[in-house]
Amino acid sequence: MRADRPQPDVVRMLTLVPWLLERPGASLEETAAAFATDVATVRAELEHLDFCGLPGLGGGDLFDVTIMGDHVTVRMADELRYPMRPTPHEALRLLLIATAAEQVAGPDVPALASALTKLHRALGVTPGAVTLLDAEPGDDVRVARGAIAAGVRVRFSYRGRQDREPAVRTVEPWAVELSEGTWYLHGFDLGAADGRVFRLDRASGLEVTDERSTTAAPEDLRSPVYEPGPDDLEVELRLAPTAHWLIDAVRPDHVEEEADGTLRVTLRTGSPEWLARLVLMAGGGAGVVRPDALRERVRSRAQEALDRLS
Amino acid sequence: MAMPVVERLVNLTIALLETRRPLTFDELRRRTGYYPQPDPASARRMFERDKESLRALGIPIETRQDFGMEDPGYLIDRRSYELRDVDLDGDEVAALALAVDMLGREVGALPLAKVAARAPDPLPLEAPPTRIDLPVTDVDSFAPAIVERRVVRFAYRTADGRTGVRTVEPYGIVRRRRAWYLVGRDRDREGPRGFRTDRMLGAIEVLDPPSAFVVPDDLDLGAVVSGPDVPTVDVVLEAGPEGHWALSARGGVDVGPGPDGTRRIRVEGVDPVRDRAWLLGVSPDAGVREPEGVRDGLRAALDRVVALHAPGGTTAVVA
Repeated sequence: MRADRPQPDVVRMLTLVPWLLERPGASLEETAAAFATDVATVRAELEHLDFCGLPGLGGGDLFDVTIMGDHVTVRMADELRYPMRPTPHEALRLLLIATAAEQVAGPDVPALASALTKLHRALGVTPGAVTLLDAEPGDDVRVARGAIAAGVRVRFSYRGRQDREPAVRTVEPWAVELSEGTWYLHGFDLGAADGRVFRLDRASGLEVTDERSTTAAPEDLRSPVYEPGPDDLEVELRLAPTAHWLIDAVRPDHVEEEADGTLRVTLRTGSPEWLARLVLMAGGGAGVVRPDALRERVRSRAQEALDRLS
Repeated sequence: MAMPVVERLVNLTIALLETRRPLTFDELRRRTGYYPQPDPASARRMFERDKESLRALGIPIETRQDFGMEDPGYLIDRRSYELRDVDLDGDEVAALALAVDMLGREVGALPLAKVAARAPDPLPLEAPPTRIDLPVTDVDSFAPAIVERRVVRFAYRTADGRTGVRTVEPYGIVRRRRAWYLVGRDRDREGPRGFRTDRMLGAIEVLDPPSAFVVPDDLDLGAVVSGPDVPTVDVVLEAGPEGHWALSARGGVDVGPGPDGTRRIRVEGVDPVRDRAWLLGVSPDAGVREPEGVRDGLRAALDRVVALHAPGGTTAVVA
């Protein structure tokens, strides 16, 4: 069998029938797009459906599937006038998708809220059964979105992972993105004369300017997720159970659990100062095993902090 | 040429939907002309395979043996199979299509086609300048339990390292930071609780029957995961320039000069438990003056950090 041969799918075929009964003369392209598949697959499935219907001796009562040019009409298929219920997997995925979109883009797409109410009822799932915390856009996200809509630059004070001190950035905003519980701003940084991604929780005093944005967004925006580089420091940490949250803040290469629940974590980082602060935040629940330079950095930050408290 | 499998599976579905009473295997064989093998055992095996394939796809084939029937019969109850009365309007379909575009067409398109099959076709909406990255299929293993309201059982390790088996009525799923939580009523401990899915050990067991419990109406799953609200305090810190910036970013207000060129910053609504890590993170740049209790707590934690990272020191982390 050739690998690129269309793979007909029973559930999609059962869904195509009611969908097409409501849309006589739909084009193959729009049908394929609605089902996230290609025209060849849809065509193959329709050819099979032409041999489907209520089976019986003498051929039974078969569906009438007509493909004229690029358009398709299904008749005599009343047995399948209603679609199949989404499976539990499909139901939960769809609720997750709609809930997430409603939380991050609700004001821009008001019909999502009423669509969600109807979905919960139709799928028999209690409203609120899918809850996403930390997804609510704050004022900074709203200000950035307003600037994108108006096509103007924003200005804010920013302290990146590697920066000891904050600096003022002027940015032509392209998009905001929620990734793993953190909001990011994609945009053209005028200072760097290049596209950049900014964590909005490291930005302060975000304000809209009246200067027009002039640089269009590229087709593909970079993912904001940190990729380790070749010059990164290799680090080993030990985390008591109370400091396991630290795993969520880093990208570990390797995690090993010891008998008492302590985790031994190895990771790479390009920003030792940031990692030292994370270890500090665990207040004794996290310890650096190696390298010694990072151990010393953590110790001296803690000592500085104690000096301020004396 | 033999009939393609997909055609036989679709037609078997239709035959079982259209029948008013359960059909035995012999009746199905006569009516459809399928399973013509001369050897009855191999014909039967082929039918069983088809039936299981359809069930695995979520098609609710019921087995019934009514009084007076010699063999079990099969049918699909339309009320279980069909999705009716979703009543989405064009704007709502457009909004859902946008949501599916934002979060993943591969997983979202087919379910959307099902719920929107009988809805009007919308005009596409312009995408908002917002992106979201969420692993939608992460929670698949909990879907049957949540959607069909089935009790689940799993081994679990708590935050302090103890393990045990939990039996839970799952009310729903919560995403917080990078973790998923299953929230529900723990049958051995009263009250709703949240379970981090990455602390579940091994596979979860989904028990029969469906509709085994009722989900409380006014339950706030997010509050179960976030824990009870602790009274917040106002904290005053003395900060150098870097600390000043970090505190302002969190809404701190400058209330005047402090010693040694620092500024005094007042931050309102600090949660002494949940914000402790944040206070430790800024502590090299900003020292807490008041309240005294917060100050003492930070000092004790910082002493532990220093001891833990002393040259040649131990790496015995503490809980």
